Amino acid sequence: MKHIFKHKRISAIVSVVPREEYRFDDEYPLFKLTDDKARRFKKMIGLDRHRIAPPEVCSSDLCLYGLQQLLKEGTLKREDIGALLFVSQTPDYFAPPTSNVLHGKLGLGPDVVCLDINQGCAGFAVGLMQAFLLLEITALPKVVLLNGDTGSKQVDRCNRISYPLTGDAGSVTIVERCEAENPIYMDVKNDGSRHKAILIPGGAYRTPASPETLVIREVEEGMRQNLHHVSMDGAAIFNFTMEDVPRQVQEVLAFSGDSLDSIEYFLFHQPNAFILQQMAAKMKIPPAKMPNNIVTLYGNSSSTTIPLVISHNYPAEFLRAQHRVCVSGFGVGLAWLTMVMTLGPLTTCRLVEYEPV
Amino acid sequence: MDKTLFYEQMAQILDAEEVKPENVLKDFETWDSLAVLSVMAMADSKFGVAIKADEMRSAVTAADLEKLVEGKLK
Amino acid sequence: MNFTFRRKRISGILTVLPAREQSFVDDMKNFNFPEARSLKLKEVMGYDKHRIVEPSVCVSDLVVFALKHLFEKELLLPDEFDALILVTQSPDYFMPPTSNVIQGRLNLKKDLFCVDINQGCAGFVIGLIQAFLLLEQESIRKVLVVNADVLSRKTSPKDRNSYPLIGDGASITVVERDTVDSVIHANLKMDGTRNNVLMIPAGGFRRPSSPETACLEDVGDNNLRAKDHLHMDGSAVFNFVQVEVPALIADLLQHTGSSIEQVDYFFCHQPNRFMLQKLADKMRIPHAKMPSNVVENFGNSSGVTIPTAIAFNLGDRLIQEKFKVCFAGFGVGLTWGAMLLDLGRVNFNSLIDYA
Repeated sequence: MKHIFKHKRISAIVSVVPREEYRFDDEYPLFKLTDDKARRFKKMIGLDRHRIAPPEVCSSDLCLYGLQQLLKEGTLKREDIGALLFVSQTPDYFAPPTSNVLHGKLGLGPDVVCLDINQGCAGFAVGLMQAFLLLEITALPKVVLLNGDTGSKQVDRCNRISYPLTGDAGSVTIVERCEAENPIYMDVKNDGSRHKAILIPGGAYRTPASPETLVIREVEEGMRQNLHHVSMDGAAIFNFTMEDVPRQVQEVLAFSGDSLDSIEYFLFHQPNAFILQQMAAKMKIPPAKMPNNIVTLYGNSSSTTIPLVISHNYPAEFLRAQHRVCVSGFGVGLAWLTMVMTLGPLTTCRLVEYEPV
Repeated sequence: MDKTLFYEQMAQILDAEEVKPENVLKDFETWDSLAVLSVMAMADSKFGVAIKADEMRSAVTAADLEKLVEGKLK
Repeated sequence: MNFTFRRKRISGILTVLPAREQSFVDDMKNFNFPEARSLKLKEVMGYDKHRIVEPSVCVSDLVVFALKHLFEKELLLPDEFDALILVTQSPDYFMPPTSNVIQGRLNLKKDLFCVDINQGCAGFVIGLIQAFLLLEQESIRKVLVVNADVLSRKTSPKDRNSYPLIGDGASITVVERDTVDSVIHANLKMDGTRNNVLMIPAGGFRRPSSPETACLEDVGDNNLRAKDHLHMDGSAVFNFVQVEVPALIADLLQHTGSSIEQVDYFFCHQPNRFMLQKLADKMRIPHAKMPSNVVENFGNSSGVTIPTAIAFNLGDRLIQEKFKVCFAGFGVGLTWGAMLLDLGRVNFNSLIDYA
């Protein structure tokens, strides 16, 4: 479904990663990979290092840290916060919503709208869409979009498929109204008939946590997991990223009247280097326009990968000027959402390391 | 369909000197989930066909994969 | 935050409740408490019977059942809505979103915006606000607000503070554009400093479930519950409702230049009869205008209580007639929100059993 939003813009992005960095070269014996196989994995998936939060750190802690940085430096004023959106698949609690917990920790006023949305890899784009919807309410000053995921808690450290590419991160994106028309073109699609392609079977209400759901099994050599861990159908996901997403990107480019040439950066979710290379090749996007280094340097942190792409690769570019970009998030649901917009200049664009307060 | 290209690509994916049609995929130590994805990607980029996840699962030999790709080309 | 929406209307409400009914008298057997005192609790709070799902039933099961009912009766066509907003605290999975599970089980179109919002007792008002926001988009013509919860599954049967009032259920509310220039006002407030008043301490990522979090503990007054269970601080909730909700409704009425007399019904969230009657008295609202009979008949099913109250108290009358109503939802977060609108001439307003 296509939408156009006008008079909205992103004004600041801060990404937060844990300090703890782990290297694939140190870890691969954990998942029983031979040196040869490890070399193949590393090259193909683009593995090198990833950031993993300590057990006591939740995704909301990473987001809160980033938000406090913005408040401290004065980029964001407390009274300008109109809404706190928390998009995650790793909430603090089933109840209350994590956005309300953060609202309490920040001591915000009663008129701040708190909203928790469960979304994964499409979560940055879904969060932006939600922010744009809320900003149609003129009384609401700015929307603080928090994306946070600690996916490392949803994989076993001895799973060679899921663990080495997973990373934890949080991000804070400030979205506000602007004078300029700045039309944002987007398309959003969902296909629940493929909802099992990326799934955590246990831990919520379908299969509640129990001693049995916690039992770790070695489903294949070097692939340990229990029912609280992500189960992925890699081949089905590959088909999805090679068919549905490119089709949508083409549709949105046509919708906005853009072309591969007019777009300066393709800021895509970062599942792994292999999939992104294939997608770029399929869509004939020059690799230089499509950054593909987040899995290699930080790990795939679900909905925060796009903020990481921006704040790691182009802080100077987006602080200085505006650029025509295509943003695409795709994954669990399945959900896929692509937007074309002019992004920048931002007042803040950086990546920081989390420090426990 | 360019069979030479197909088997060259297969050899590259499986990290083998040569792949023959009768070779059983499971006999290659490198035949794993990554290799499956690589074959799907190769079919797409070199031959312009999309192989579905389910279709891959029934392939036993390299020839089965070749037939799968060829079938899509028609 | 005050909201004003124009040209939007509710065109149908369906509530589905589990057929399984439990009585307070049966619940009492699990309490470690003198029978006479339990019976006193029943009388004061207005507990009698409540609807509880079988232990394997999930939110998507209730919602799929309700939607199939609407499709079969041709009250709704599978491809005529463009967004499915699921508001729940009891999702099927951490991933994927349960709205996608529902979409998949019913083979709904791909051009459907699916979103899972985590909200509780204010979830009906929040869901409606979300629907109105989406309907501002030209491409969206009709939206389903789906409220659903199966919180009985995280409530300790040995906790008198929560179990006897809890109920399960789901509701589908169809929201679309109005042809006349109607106006809907809403007011929404949050206070996260009191986020621990209503909470399930374990099971999320702050404190993952473990054998320890499943252990029943004596939390005082002979009530037993685990960290995996819903915890309600009854007196804090009571205080919250009596202080914040009257101010919220008064503010909304003042803001819109309306009076209590002009409002036909106040459909509030239904924590229990006692609390609602105190609320009505405090605001000088006649009891007849503020139904408080949901908990004693069906239990408190979180965001589903307002649709249940509408279906149970107005039923088919809502197909013919039109009323000025005020909704008020309040609870977990803490979150409290109210809405003033014209409700009526809907296509359906009924209550069905899930079996």
